[in-house]
Amino acid sequence: MSHSRPTRTLALHLLLGGTAFLFIFPVLYVVLVSLRPSGEGLSGGLVLSGFDTSHYETLLSGQRFPRAILNTAITAIGGALLTVFACTLAAYGLSRGDATRLQRWLLNAFLLLMMLPGLTNIIPLYKLASDLGLLNTYTSLITTFGGLGVPLGVWIMKGFFDAIPREVEEAAAIDGATRPQVLVRILAPIAMPAVLANFLINVVYNWNNFFLPLMFTTQSDRKVATVALFDYQVAYANTQNELVAAACVLIMIPPVVMFISMRERFMAGLADGAMKG
Amino acid sequence: MTSILRSDVAGPGAPRARSGPPEGRSPRWGWITVGLVAPAALLTVAVQIYPTLYSFYLSFGTVSAGTVTPVGLDNYRWLLTSARFWQSVAVTLVYGVAFVVITFVLALALALVFNTQFRGKAFYLTVIFVPWILSEITSGVIWRWMFLRDYGFLQELLGPLFGDVTVLATPVGALAVLVVANVWKSVAFALLLILAALQTISREIDEAARLDGAGAWRRLRSVTLPLIRPTLTVVIAFMAIQSVNAIGMVMSVTEGGPGSSTEILSLFMYRQAMDFGKLGVGSAVGVVMFFVNLVFALTYLRALNRQSELGGR
Repeated sequence: MSHSRPTRTLALHLLLGGTAFLFIFPVLYVVLVSLRPSGEGLSGGLVLSGFDTSHYETLLSGQRFPRAILNTAITAIGGALLTVFACTLAAYGLSRGDATRLQRWLLNAFLLLMMLPGLTNIIPLYKLASDLGLLNTYTSLITTFGGLGVPLGVWIMKGFFDAIPREVEEAAAIDGATRPQVLVRILAPIAMPAVLANFLINVVYNWNNFFLPLMFTTQSDRKVATVALFDYQVAYANTQNELVAAACVLIMIPPVVMFISMRERFMAGLADGAMKG
Repeated sequence: MTSILRSDVAGPGAPRARSGPPEGRSPRWGWITVGLVAPAALLTVAVQIYPTLYSFYLSFGTVSAGTVTPVGLDNYRWLLTSARFWQSVAVTLVYGVAFVVITFVLALALALVFNTQFRGKAFYLTVIFVPWILSEITSGVIWRWMFLRDYGFLQELLGPLFGDVTVLATPVGALAVLVVANVWKSVAFALLLILAALQTISREIDEAARLDGAGAWRRLRSVTLPLIRPTLTVVIAFMAIQSVNAIGMVMSVTEGGPGSSTEILSLFMYRQAMDFGKLGVGSAVGVVMFFVNLVFALTYLRALNRQSELGGR
């Protein structure tokens, strides 16, 4: 090689450092805007003339934003719990059952559904929710979130169960444990990290979902945070951008924290799920 | 599970555990499986399969005050003669191709870099992943501010030197901003999938090619890329589906404007249904999008099956 090792390493870090900066810069910028004194908003480029946290206080002490965050938390977590419950059972069954034609068919069906986004179903879903009187309810959002997460979740969890040797269960069965006992005492502890990763991936997806709640909610006290942010963007554009920025930051903190705290499992789950376990 | 952050662990090429029922289980296991799958199947039918079928039904009717009146093919006929629909198709196509090509090239390049050994890999990967963790709407707000006329970030920075930044006010510029913003958001996921595939290639194959005198470019083209080709197809299908269905970002960055020049199909569908109250027409657009998605989804399935035939996973 023509270049010495230190030079190459330096070039690599410059390249990746630059790339990483480009990716994180917009995020840092919105944090910067959120800390600007009122009225300065987007003016001033990168200069922070004063440090003002009052926009966060305004948002958090108000009526609307805390309510929106609460709505988001309830629906995102509720939906993720539903998803995790349904797909842990399904994945266990599909991983351990006989490899019959029905089973392979089911797995392929889930795979196909995973690739067909819920977006094209948004109008019928809206119509159905409206006919059933479920607009502006947690029920409609939790059920829909729960269902939309199932296909990916089934594949993530199946890949995980496939990797647990059946000898573990057989050994326990030989020792006289019944099947429910095996499930609770042996499999559940092993499966917990994967279940948790699957849960977090779904919470993040649901937390960030914008379009579905936009369609399902019209009452302002039922709107979730992303929809409230969209309203703010329209209402406060050009006048109180600092407030909009603070809302952005508050909305992005939970997913980013969840992701960073479990990034390895998170990424592995996503890659394995998308690439079929 | 594959470890993306480390490359020294056994990849998916490692021997797999046996699956299938443990020996000596009762033949009723089949029914147990059905029971276990039931909740997942029920949920999926309720929020995906039934609504899809229902959207077919709605697309052949008009909806007023909650009642559906059949109108045959009228909605589709209307679409075919609507200039705005065709404009939307064209915009989606241009946007989709640009988005997929740029994301793909960038993700592949980064994946090749990340597939080598160096310090700080996990850190860089995590940082690049952050945009993917953000909501479309948050990302949209930020990117709008970047390019906003009169007082956006780039205006503040470049305005005094080069004159006003008016990118968002021009149809081509606005579309370009959307492409950039979505590439920024999606690169990490594509990178993740390609990197996972690269890690399944054994070092020996690459080493053998090197000993045969193949240069870096030649090894990439003749060894690495063909080996991960199914994965590359999967990534392209994934990205294509994403681009057809991106809506939150478009709503918050350009609102489909200027005029309706960045009104991609999903936004067109939403506006027909919600702003103009034409649920039937909206459903017809949804059905069209469904079939476009279906083509990509089937491509994805075929690529995955080829991948397992190659023995990658």
